Amino acid sequence: MAEPIVEFRHITKKFPGIVANDDVSFTVNKGEIFAVLGENGAGKSTLVSALFGMYEPDGGEILVRGKPERITSPRYAGTLGIGMVHQHFRLVSNYTVAENIVLGLEPVRKVCGIPFVDMKKANRDVAALSERYGLKVSPTDVTGDLSVAAMQRVEILKMLYREAEILIFDEPTAVLTPQEIDAFLQTVKTLRDSGKTIILITHKLREIKAVADRCAIMARGKLVSILDVKTASTDEMARLMVGHDISFTTEKAPAKFGEVVLDVDGLTVKNVAGYDAVKGVSFQVHAGEVFAVAGVSGNGQNELADSIAGLAKVSGGTVTLSGHDITNATVREHITAGVAYIPEDRHNVGLVLDFTLRGNFPLRLYDSPKYSRGSIINYREYNEQSARLQEEYDIRSSQGGETIVREMSGGNQQKAIIAREIDMKTPLIIFMQPTRGLDAGAVMNVRKYIIAERDRGAAVLLISLDLDEILDCADTIGVIYSGKMSKIAPASELTAEVIGEYMMGVGKTA
Amino acid sequence: MPDTIIIDGLSFSLPLFVMAVGGIFSEKSGITNLALEGFQGFGAFTGAFAAVYLYGVFGADSVIPYWASFVFAVIGGGVFALLHALLCVRFKADQVISGVVMNILAMALTSFLTKRINASIFGNSGNKFMLSASSRITIPGLSELPVVGAVFRDIYPFELVIVAVALVMWLVLYRTVYGMRLRACGDNPQSADAAGINVYAVRTVAVFVSGCLSGLAGMSFAYSVSAQFSPDIYLGYGYLSIAALIFGNWSILPALFACLVFGFARSTGAAVIHGLGLPSSYNDLVRTLPYVLTLLLLVFFGRRNRSPRALGQIYDKGMR
Repeated sequence: MAEPIVEFRHITKKFPGIVANDDVSFTVNKGEIFAVLGENGAGKSTLVSALFGMYEPDGGEILVRGKPERITSPRYAGTLGIGMVHQHFRLVSNYTVAENIVLGLEPVRKVCGIPFVDMKKANRDVAALSERYGLKVSPTDVTGDLSVAAMQRVEILKMLYREAEILIFDEPTAVLTPQEIDAFLQTVKTLRDSGKTIILITHKLREIKAVADRCAIMARGKLVSILDVKTASTDEMARLMVGHDISFTTEKAPAKFGEVVLDVDGLTVKNVAGYDAVKGVSFQVHAGEVFAVAGVSGNGQNELADSIAGLAKVSGGTVTLSGHDITNATVREHITAGVAYIPEDRHNVGLVLDFTLRGNFPLRLYDSPKYSRGSIINYREYNEQSARLQEEYDIRSSQGGETIVREMSGGNQQKAIIAREIDMKTPLIIFMQPTRGLDAGAVMNVRKYIIAERDRGAAVLLISLDLDEILDCADTIGVIYSGKMSKIAPASELTAEVIGEYMMGVGKTA
Repeated sequence: MPDTIIIDGLSFSLPLFVMAVGGIFSEKSGITNLALEGFQGFGAFTGAFAAVYLYGVFGADSVIPYWASFVFAVIGGGVFALLHALLCVRFKADQVISGVVMNILAMALTSFLTKRINASIFGNSGNKFMLSASSRITIPGLSELPVVGAVFRDIYPFELVIVAVALVMWLVLYRTVYGMRLRACGDNPQSADAAGINVYAVRTVAVFVSGCLSGLAGMSFAYSVSAQFSPDIYLGYGYLSIAALIFGNWSILPALFACLVFGFARSTGAAVIHGLGLPSSYNDLVRTLPYVLTLLLLVFFGRRNRSPRALGQIYDKGMR
């Protein structure tokens, strides 16, 4: 018989305008991997945040090891043996790995009664812990220099150092590459086998299928169902999560290529550190074509996208848009020439987070006669556009156009960017990692927009780390490896395996 | 002449330095501290008041009022700083505005109180507390060395205290549990909180420490610059030490270096003017030297330095 370790009883939590959790009850057993599945805004983060003491529920109670507990702070959650890895890591960037792990529970060596931190012991302890759980980290590395996957290992070790028994992961794989995801899932299994209880919040069905024992499905704040993962099918889980069937392949008509819109010739771009990140890349994108760039993260994709959009300086080669040279033109000139860009970094590049939704829509064209007369803003047009785009793109927010964008969910923020960029109806549109961190329903929507843009006759440049997405949308695929296009071919001629080889740099050079 | 440059340079640099160390504590914990100027002034006020009061008890030549003045300056600066902590930590006020307000408040309050106290307790109508001259120490042996011997000659006693305090503060900041937690609060208060650290308490203590060290500095200036407490104490030394801690990249040792540069620029300038036999009104020009130097250094070093990541950010546990 399974032994319950955490029990949610009739949890209700309201935020202004939204019921985040509505009478949610379920039990997590000791030593299992329990997944909480749901779309963005389904209330799963809120629910486990209550377990970690970040919110207090308005109604209901939480039982830990059979005892009702009022968990008022993360600190108190820690004393109950509950640890959490947040979606955005909570690490001190200029500290070493060991310093981060022991912070708050430092090994102490007293000299004249003054508590000094015993860093030697800290380094030893961390090394031992890292060894024991197979989580590779170097205790003396500076945390800020680590890869995302390594930072995540530090977060996990932080919980293990505190001897947490209930480990909560909030969207742990959103920021990882496919290989890192596999390693992470393996880690989760190891942790379970060593007796830990794991609560995994995610919207990725594949991962749940791969590791979870049981899974709670939430939608719009309510618990929809609890499934035994082994016997449930992915389709069933997806249907319950979204509330209707979703197909995992985007339907699309055959492409009709037109004129060459984007012509990139011998493009070379330096990265921030001053090294060539893109090395002499050449390709063309036609009207009515989705050209997808596949590759492992950090092979020059960011620099490629930024330079074509006019955000990064081109150090060699040319970028031509419908016959006009736009190499190193200003961003304004790029907009006028007709380049729309959905950037990877939504918060810093895509949006002004502290503006209203309404104020974010005209950011690209605010100075055009449509949105301003002289220097006077035309708010009528702002309002009209805001209402229209919210309706067309189903952008949900608590106060409509007046909502501060920072307060919106990630999925709706992305919808707002996509709506704004598509609304410009440009000959070229660049999608950079457009579905990162979005839930299944939103992902399908974004892919539909990509295809719709193509069918409108735009040239679409799609840069993604998600191979499924590329295979799903692309007409032509270019694989980027170490700053060079190692392969360009029609999508119909390539399989995932072949692309994978080129992505790893082992494919035969074309 | 090199002797006076070294002696005056050090006696100006070291108080500046200990104040910068206080600023580093506050800023490393995440609280912007523009209030050092006010802290040192308020500390000097309480210290000088204590000294003048105790002259009446122990006599002006006793060492007790001298050392007591430093103790009271440290306490006064610290307590006054708690007001800044209260505003910034408890009430989540804007730290820049709070800092500026603290400076103005200190200046107005101490001027007013000095006059009132003089009138009601000491029965005179001055706006200053006159202090007896500080004794000077010369270390035998070391002071005989050529050139560098001046470092050990005519030292104000407070200079030794400052060196000892700075050393202890360095250990606290980089080697103790409290220091480690303090620096974490200034980089990522969320992670500190999640690690079970009381961010509010750590920051409050850090601001208190900055007030204590500023009080020590203010009292030192009161003795070395003018042998009195008057509104002239607000000459912008607090701002200068902020400049020093920024050039020092929020680290103690480089900040010491910056303070020494400021101090020696000032003493060298004074020596040059004295040597050229220029009228004493040129001394005012010399006093601007550290500030001119600040402007120049800003041009060259300003952008390379990185402040603590969470500096100036109001931390609210409820926010995600």
